[in-house]
Amino acid sequence: MTSYAMEVKNLRKEFQVKKKKTPFWKKDYNKEIFVAVDNVSFSVHKGEIFGFLGPNGAGKTTTIKMISTLLMPTSGSVIVNGINSHEKSIEVLRNLGTVLAGERSIYWKLSGRENLEYFAAMNGITGKIAKEKIDYLLKRFNLEKRADETVEKYSTGMKQRVALAKALIADPQIVILDEPTSGLDPQSARNLREIILEIKEEGRTVLLTTHYMEEADQLSDRIAIIDHGKIIALDTPENLKKGLSKTKSLVLQLDHWDETISNKLKDIPAVENINSSFNDSNQIWEVKIHISNGSQVISSLISNIASSNTKIINFRVDEPTLEDVFINLTGKSLRE
Amino acid sequence: MKRSPIITAILSVFKKELKIFLRYPSWFIAMLIWPIIFPFGYLFTAKALSGTDGQSLAAFSNISGTSDYISFMLIGTTMWMIMNTMLWSFGTSLRTEQIRGTLESNWLCPVPKITILLGHSLWEIFFNIIFLTITAIEFKLVYNFKFIGSPLLSFLIIIISIPSIYGIGFIFASLVMWQKETNSMVFLVRGIMSVFCGITYPLAVLPNWMGNISKVIPLTHSISALRSVISTGATLADIKSQIYYLIFSGIILMALGFLAFNFTQRKVKESGSLGHF
Repeated sequence: MTSYAMEVKNLRKEFQVKKKKTPFWKKDYNKEIFVAVDNVSFSVHKGEIFGFLGPNGAGKTTTIKMISTLLMPTSGSVIVNGINSHEKSIEVLRNLGTVLAGERSIYWKLSGRENLEYFAAMNGITGKIAKEKIDYLLKRFNLEKRADETVEKYSTGMKQRVALAKALIADPQIVILDEPTSGLDPQSARNLREIILEIKEEGRTVLLTTHYMEEADQLSDRIAIIDHGKIIALDTPENLKKGLSKTKSLVLQLDHWDETISNKLKDIPAVENINSSFNDSNQIWEVKIHISNGSQVISSLISNIASSNTKIINFRVDEPTLEDVFINLTGKSLRE
Repeated sequence: MKRSPIITAILSVFKKELKIFLRYPSWFIAMLIWPIIFPFGYLFTAKALSGTDGQSLAAFSNISGTSDYISFMLIGTTMWMIMNTMLWSFGTSLRTEQIRGTLESNWLCPVPKITILLGHSLWEIFFNIIFLTITAIEFKLVYNFKFIGSPLLSFLIIIISIPSIYGIGFIFASLVMWQKETNSMVFLVRGIMSVFCGITYPLAVLPNWMGNISKVIPLTHSISALRSVISTGATLADIKSQIYYLIFSGIILMALGFLAFNFTQRKVKESGSLGHF
């Protein structure tokens, strides 16, 4: 019996895309191949939360759609609980509870209870067993008081909880969550993260995609960082950050910033990356400088900035975060 | 005895669609009003052409075999309404799920995907039987619709027509899910039906080439058989060639429908367009 809940081997997905707007009779001659997922391999241990972290368009959703049998890979394979997902898709789906597209994945004209009844029946669960499961899930997700109202009257957080309850209705061993907290207010997002941790405590495996670093850091036992369809790092959050132990981030608030100052600072050895943004609300520049040799060049950086007729309003030195790991690997911010 | 998961899934789609239908009371009102309103335009046109006392009905009677133009048109327009409803609701059922965002959720359920479409078709057949019953009662009350032949045989013709109508629906639903262009496809298909199937006129008025095309379309045979039974009292023996054709075309169209569904299922899995709207 394999200790892996999921094994993804050399997974690749190519899409044909139109090069440019062309008349329909010429479309076959104007297509090019876009590689959304490029030979991705990883294994997910049973009972762990495996985070899939990457910017929008990195290939996260395409990968989980291939895992959950919605999308055919161009090549490679996905084994879920020892079953090949594209040879025996129905068997694989019995092992998976998947939430894609969150609140839109349920029927808004049905009540929360009716949604769960429908998806229970679609999973072959009916009668008394279905009723007990539904009552339990409604209570667990704090939906019981409004269980008989139509979903259209629910908040986004409640809809998301119904979608999650729907994924758990058949008691799957593996739960796949695609951007589960996207669009939620901070309180609802926090509640949902607690639920995800509870799902893990029940012994289930969770595959979670997110572009929120804090979320990946807080929830995941291991994280795969994906960019341009390739996994560029895979380890525990601690090990990923440990790899940058000598890296620090100098975060400054300045009254002025321009390319000349940036170029001057980039000439200083040990400066790896500089990210700047203008904060409209307080009319100041926020600049983050990644340095690779601990704090040895900090004084040199500050004196260079001060000599450029720029006022330093505030500054601090941060320990490395997953964002820094991502910047270090890709040279760009996760949100760029 | 434990029910098969496939039957459970089909019935759950049916129940879900019924519940959603009941949440829109305006649909129910439309179902009551439409059968009365829709034929009015055709009936008034016919009345204008035939004369207020039916002075000019002889030509129509010669080529149609009946002088009861009201029943003639009501049968045609009712079958066209069934085809039209099928295209708009069953034919676009997967597309509607796609737009709602629920198609992928259904695809993630561990059942053969065709059960989702079969569930929709079960709901649609049930809806149409209710619709036909309401229509028949209203026609009797409003238009004094007369049944000369056997109502049971008429019902049999409708039942035998279901595989043909739903075969077209399966093909249509599959292609619409893939191509995502609903309106133009509905207008094209129902336009062909309304011109070629003799909804409001006898097929004898069509040019030969159009008449030949009309004979291929199963709806033409359903309408023609229903008119023969309801308006002229034809028996099963009189309409057996049309019955055979409807059975034959039903088998062919259902087979093509399943092939189209499997083809589309593979296409959307390759292109990743299942969840696109």
